[in-house]
Amino acid sequence: MTCELLKGFRMLDLTDEKGALCGKIMSDLGVDVIKVEPTAGCSTRNIPPFLEDQPGPDRSLYFIAYEAGKRSITLNLESPAGRGLLAELAGKSDFLVESYPVGYLDSIGLGYEALAKLNPRLVYTSITPFGDRGPARNHKAEDIVTWAAGGMMYLMGEEGRPPLQMALPQAGLHAGGEAAVASMIAHYARQTDGLGQRVVVNMQACVVWTLMNEQAMPILHGDHLTRTGVYTGGLGARRKMVYACRDGYISAVVGAGVSTKALVDWLAEAGFATEWMKQKDWTFWTPGIFMKPTEKDLQETDELEDCIQRFFSTMTKREIYAGALKRRLLLAPVADVADIAADEHLKARNFFVPVEHDTLGRALTLPGPFAKLSETPIDPPRRAPRLGEHNQQVLGDLLGLSADRLRELRNSGAI
Amino acid sequence: MSGHAFDGVHVLDFSWVGVGPITTKYLADNGAEVIRIESAAKIDVLRIAPPWKDGQPGINHSQFFASFNTSKKSVTLDLNQPKARELVLRLVPWADLIGESFTPKAMRKWGMDYAQLRKIKPDLIMFSTCMQGQTGPNAMYPGFGQLAAALSGFYHISGYGPDDPPSPPYGAYSDFVAPRLLAAAVIAALDYRRRTGKGQYIDMSQYEAALHNLAPAVIDYFATGRVLGRNANRSDRFAPHGAYRCRDEEGAERWIAIAVASDDEWRAMLAVLGNPACDPKFATLAGRLEHFAPLDELVSRLVRDREAAALTAELQAAGVAAYPVQNCVDLHQDENLEAFGFWHWLDHKEMGPSVYEGLQHRMSRTPGDLRAAPVLGQHTDEVLTGMLGLSASEIEQLRNERVVF
Repeated sequence: MTCELLKGFRMLDLTDEKGALCGKIMSDLGVDVIKVEPTAGCSTRNIPPFLEDQPGPDRSLYFIAYEAGKRSITLNLESPAGRGLLAELAGKSDFLVESYPVGYLDSIGLGYEALAKLNPRLVYTSITPFGDRGPARNHKAEDIVTWAAGGMMYLMGEEGRPPLQMALPQAGLHAGGEAAVASMIAHYARQTDGLGQRVVVNMQACVVWTLMNEQAMPILHGDHLTRTGVYTGGLGARRKMVYACRDGYISAVVGAGVSTKALVDWLAEAGFATEWMKQKDWTFWTPGIFMKPTEKDLQETDELEDCIQRFFSTMTKREIYAGALKRRLLLAPVADVADIAADEHLKARNFFVPVEHDTLGRALTLPGPFAKLSETPIDPPRRAPRLGEHNQQVLGDLLGLSADRLRELRNSGAI
Repeated sequence: MSGHAFDGVHVLDFSWVGVGPITTKYLADNGAEVIRIESAAKIDVLRIAPPWKDGQPGINHSQFFASFNTSKKSVTLDLNQPKARELVLRLVPWADLIGESFTPKAMRKWGMDYAQLRKIKPDLIMFSTCMQGQTGPNAMYPGFGQLAAALSGFYHISGYGPDDPPSPPYGAYSDFVAPRLLAAAVIAALDYRRRTGKGQYIDMSQYEAALHNLAPAVIDYFATGRVLGRNANRSDRFAPHGAYRCRDEEGAERWIAIAVASDDEWRAMLAVLGNPACDPKFATLAGRLEHFAPLDELVSRLVRDREAAALTAELQAAGVAAYPVQNCVDLHQDENLEAFGFWHWLDHKEMGPSVYEGLQHRMSRTPGDLRAAPVLGQHTDEVLTGMLGLSASEIEQLRNERVVF
């Protein structure tokens, strides 16, 4: 069973961690995604952590998550026979996505120009760390490097301490998501007039886009923002984003109108609010968000945030979130994966799905469809493939290679 | 084909703030006609959020709004008025896609949920995107991306360590995850409709979408109970791996991000740094991973007097992944973003010329094309006259009744 939405379309996936999510999204939407792996296996098979910390080609959690639902073939692109097979497959495919160093596939005769001659319909998407034109086009870029180049790293952390990445690197996921959208835009154009095209995705630019327009601050407001730890804002304004509670942290937004009033009411009921807090009209009190606060605004912010902190220190994440849901506060727990796994809301939506992994002799629980589609539902996730699991299906059945020829290719190291 | 991928595609966009508008921006920048139906009674919060032209607030002064709403039209109605809804319903047959991002009850209250709209346009595609999706016990809970980012686990994995508080990503992080997924699905649905004649309804929970960027940690927890936490920039693959302070420039701190995978890269890095004597335990990746703290101290010491950009060039020439940690001033001077053609100058009707984020991809044959975002209600008369055939006096009357703004 695959999703009907893009059933019948095929994508060749030659990405590493700079783009694995692209093929995952396309597979979710019904595309037959064929992971083209080197004979030693795709590098995403080697990304730790591994299931139960035991390395193995099918045990990388990254691989399990982002290669799910794809088929796998092995092709040695360093051999002429392997390159020939890839070209043949490109002739029978609708999409190709790759994240090799810029120019590598061109250098072995598998660039866009060459493959478009064989298949003018092909949408050929290249994911690059820094684009294909600038001085760093051939530079090495692990995830943290594009995170830094794109400006998010500078803004994460505390003043005087190092800029930060997340514990689960994100830049490649943004690039993969963007590659899926861009491939789909080109697909829509191709379904109009039958012609594919070359798409280049820029990972650094994908990170810049996550900055929520902060890039414009220096030009419009005269300065850039800096790292502010649990606070956000800057240029005179600030508001606390994170409060400690008994068993962890809470994120709350104060200074956004009605929700502040509801929070102060709660503080008052619990006996934490001071008299001026009870008296104040909070409806239009928005100093943290809308900048240019007065001295009085800042003082009130400090007192209110201290008061909230004292109150939250008496309760757990779960208790505070339950109260916030009831009172419609702008608040959320700083959830860890254990909280997420236990969330009744996600359970009610059947979001997490157990998926049998015969490759591992057990079931694993994966995030389910990223959206609910009424006419063409995204199917529950399917497990990631074994290395070369579909060599016979793809090279034999699809390309029509004989068993003898497949054996020959295997012996020569082409597959 | 000349022109854009979505020439001739029509979108009626009720969505606001981040995820919905960023999703329809993909369509608008690629040729679709996207009409934002804005409520003057409940204005899109981004219209009053900074950064502002000249640092001054105003509903048509927000580049935050202008950035997410390039290439669109703006029509201003008060949807709480039945007459406004009648007008909007007359636009439904024109629309291929309708988008909205209110809490789930709003469209139902107005009689404009998918079941109702589909009666007018049987092959309609519609997306609804909100914090937690259309169903489930917390469906009605309001919020925005900063909170969704906390709820979906990103805050918890950002920070210096378990004993330090989270240091969250800047801004409404999940607002930049969900649109990529939603836009891919929406375009696929448009294509499917063109092939089969069938429309459909798409329910996207921003929380669920964001969890896909956390999938390995989620799978790990369900399988083994391990909870991913924050641990500064420590990696289990690269060492050194992090941001290291370089020489200050113009009185400001400068940092360089470095990731070293192999022992060859490590030796190449040491050569760039003058081959200092160093502890033999750092010779292997396993040793460096194990002794990451003294390793970080060593690297910090070695790069502290270097200039970040020059060191980047030397390290990259030696085959080591590195780049300066850039702030938002640096981004505008970045040669690589420049060469990609990332920045776009757009001339906004009230804000005048300003520089915007362009597309994060480039297409060879049907490139996208950004046009400046509309001021509030810029196209109200054009749409009411041109598409609905209202006369100037009828529009005047609706304005007097505060149906139209």
